[in-house]
Amino acid sequence: MKIKNRSVSDRIYLTFVYVVLSLLCASIVLPMMQVLTVSVSPVEVINSYGFHLFPTRFDFSGYREVFRNSLIWTAYGNTIFRTVLGTALTVLLTFMGAYPLSKKSLPHRPFWTALIVFTMFFSGGLIPSYMLIKNLGLMNSVWSLVLPGAVSVFLLLIVRNFISALPESLEESAKIDGAGELYILWKIIMPLSMPILATVSLYSAVGHWNAWFDSMLYIRDEHKQVLQLILRKIVIEGTIDPAAGGGTDLIEKPVNSESMKMATLVVSILPIICVYPFLQKYFVKGTMLGSVKG
Amino acid sequence: MTKKRIGKRLAGLAAAGLLTGVLSACGGGDAGKEAEASDPSKPVELDWLGYNSYAQPDPNADIVKMVEEKFNAKFNIWYVDAQQWNDQVNVKFAAGEIPDVLQIREQIPKYVANGILAEISEDDIRKYAPTYAKVIDDYDASLWNTVKYEGKIYGLPSINLNGDYPQAMIWRKDWLDKVGIDKIPETLDEFETALKKFRNEDPDGNGKKDTYGMSDYALRYIMGAYGMPADQANYVLKDGKIEFAAVQPEMKEALALLNKWYKEELIDPEFITGENTGGYWADSQAFYNNRIGLTGNGMFYHWRNELFGDGDEGGGQYQNFKKAQPDGEIAFGVPPVGPDGQSGAPQWGVNSVPLGITPKAAEDPRKVQTILTMLETSFTDYDYYTTVLRGEEGVDWKEETDGSVIAIKDPNDANASFKRGAQVFNMMENPEFGKKASKQLYAFGDSVKTKGYPPVVVPAVDSLSQYSGNLGKLQQETYMKIIIGEQPVDSFDAFAKSFMDNGGSQVEKDVNEAYQEMLGK
Repeated sequence: MKIKNRSVSDRIYLTFVYVVLSLLCASIVLPMMQVLTVSVSPVEVINSYGFHLFPTRFDFSGYREVFRNSLIWTAYGNTIFRTVLGTALTVLLTFMGAYPLSKKSLPHRPFWTALIVFTMFFSGGLIPSYMLIKNLGLMNSVWSLVLPGAVSVFLLLIVRNFISALPESLEESAKIDGAGELYILWKIIMPLSMPILATVSLYSAVGHWNAWFDSMLYIRDEHKQVLQLILRKIVIEGTIDPAAGGGTDLIEKPVNSESMKMATLVVSILPIICVYPFLQKYFVKGTMLGSVKG
Repeated sequence: MTKKRIGKRLAGLAAAGLLTGVLSACGGGDAGKEAEASDPSKPVELDWLGYNSYAQPDPNADIVKMVEEKFNAKFNIWYVDAQQWNDQVNVKFAAGEIPDVLQIREQIPKYVANGILAEISEDDIRKYAPTYAKVIDDYDASLWNTVKYEGKIYGLPSINLNGDYPQAMIWRKDWLDKVGIDKIPETLDEFETALKKFRNEDPDGNGKKDTYGMSDYALRYIMGAYGMPADQANYVLKDGKIEFAAVQPEMKEALALLNKWYKEELIDPEFITGENTGGYWADSQAFYNNRIGLTGNGMFYHWRNELFGDGDEGGGQYQNFKKAQPDGEIAFGVPPVGPDGQSGAPQWGVNSVPLGITPKAAEDPRKVQTILTMLETSFTDYDYYTTVLRGEEGVDWKEETDGSVIAIKDPNDANASFKRGAQVFNMMENPEFGKKASKQLYAFGDSVKTKGYPPVVVPAVDSLSQYSGNLGKLQQETYMKIIIGEQPVDSFDAFAKSFMDNGGSQVEKDVNEAYQEMLGK
């Protein structure tokens, strides 16, 4: 309807936008449909040619396998635990670090800021990090997953900029009414910063949910490993020709079926898919709020 | 103490040059070596990484306890992800965490230079593990050469029994019947006739000309008819000299034939992306879907079509095939015989991942002795071997009346037996016991065994790891282009030259030197 009233160039532009968006959408939805279909299909359907976008025959053996695999559920618990703990820590530390840096009255403020920003560009590297974690005694514990990345400089700077943009008069008026520094922080600044903190927690939660490399390095016990690592293991298994590695293989070694692999994928992405639509508005809002304002 | 010292030294260097050969330079000053046996009254403590680590074993599992008691040892079993072994293990090594026993999945010279591997004296091996040593001697004495570096033994060679069997060439038996061929093709001419009929006589009977003869898995068998299956940067031994298979003039003839077959549409044009379109590596979707009638990347146990009693459905790939084509039949083929009478299937070779001990273990004679005794026991004591390999009788496996061992599948957890401690202490495969436990299966394997080309056993050289990626890519691209006719067959000579110029000559020179050294000449 509306499109009619617009100029030709606008219409061309909009058509172009919608075509690109539809293609983008299809490129995301189609693989999802394939995964869903394969996860509920019997092996002869999976091995047949063509796309499998709609299930033709059903076989839930993949899901049965997944639900029997206790390791997946333990890993699930670990991932949820690290996500909650890690996100809470990140929000708390980022906020408490950003607030003083946003104060012009902080002595040597440029120095402290530069010191923190420095770490954004230089890091110790893999092996020094590993040794650090090891010598701190964090190996094989959830702390090795949440502490190293607890404060992200990037997020810290976003929060700092956000707080700087809050009107100073708010604080002044609170001071006149007799509020102390901590009271101002928790009762004035914190509630006003909610949008940016939501963004920070979302970034951090998604990061924790998807992380696996740290778990591979630092966690020795299989039952302490995170979901993504277990997932990776299940999905890769069996695709590599042992001839290439020269490994020994038990002939009767059980092989994960494709439907089980895809079922695992579905089970593990489902929660984040359910949560995402409700959170994504914060993403949009938060990034906008973090940028230069008014 | 020692562990820390090695650790610091390693870590510093690793940070600088990430595990290069530099370490040997400063590794020499190890004067104060505390070579003394640990207190014999206490169990000997071993950091154990000498297994596949498919899943994490429970340290209190019965099998672990049994082995600990039997050898008066205490194990600290490391668990690393089997699919990311090198990534994980290299970081640990660089940080100074080194086990006592490990599978050697890297090149031995590299590990030796970095102080990860210690020499194992041949006297010790022969003294504490005589049966094992004899099995290796009898099976293939050249296996000892694979673990030697500068004349010293740095690992315990192991045998992959399945590598003794070439890969299986599989025909669609029902298609052969349909087009009126009652004998399994044996020569290149007979192959050509059969493949032509597959293409032109509608063997799947759907009225459409949508079938082909073969796809990419069978290519290497055709090359085998000309003397060697060229695959990326693999070697071939010619008159005592190691050369690259890819550049041999015989391969030009093979490519000419394949190009002719491609033009006649005997080869599925989709061979470029492969007949396996996902899933387990031995699957061939093109074969399952009536597209081709000849395949061959799996092993005899993948395609086993002889059923052992009730409830047995055959090999995994045979089952998948039957599910896709309930009326289809397969037959095991033989690699085609070429113009000069040569033939052979690709083969993995018996050489498997060797087991090594680290300087930490070598310092303590008791550790060395325990490790070798454990190895010896798994070569002399069948019950012990079966238990450490397969788990507990009645829980993880049961014995049939003929003595073959059948795995009991745990309905709740596919990895249950690994968790109960199976496949942790078996150290390596014992071919004799392996055949005994799977009598029927190997009898079947023997019945369909064909001629094969096992890989040439040579030491790894640095230049190969440097160039093999590009060389392999060059080989695959050129071969493919010649087969589909994008390049003329005569361009093979230019390819051979460019292959040798771009690192091939360098690798060939290095590997021949190393080979002569390995042979002790």
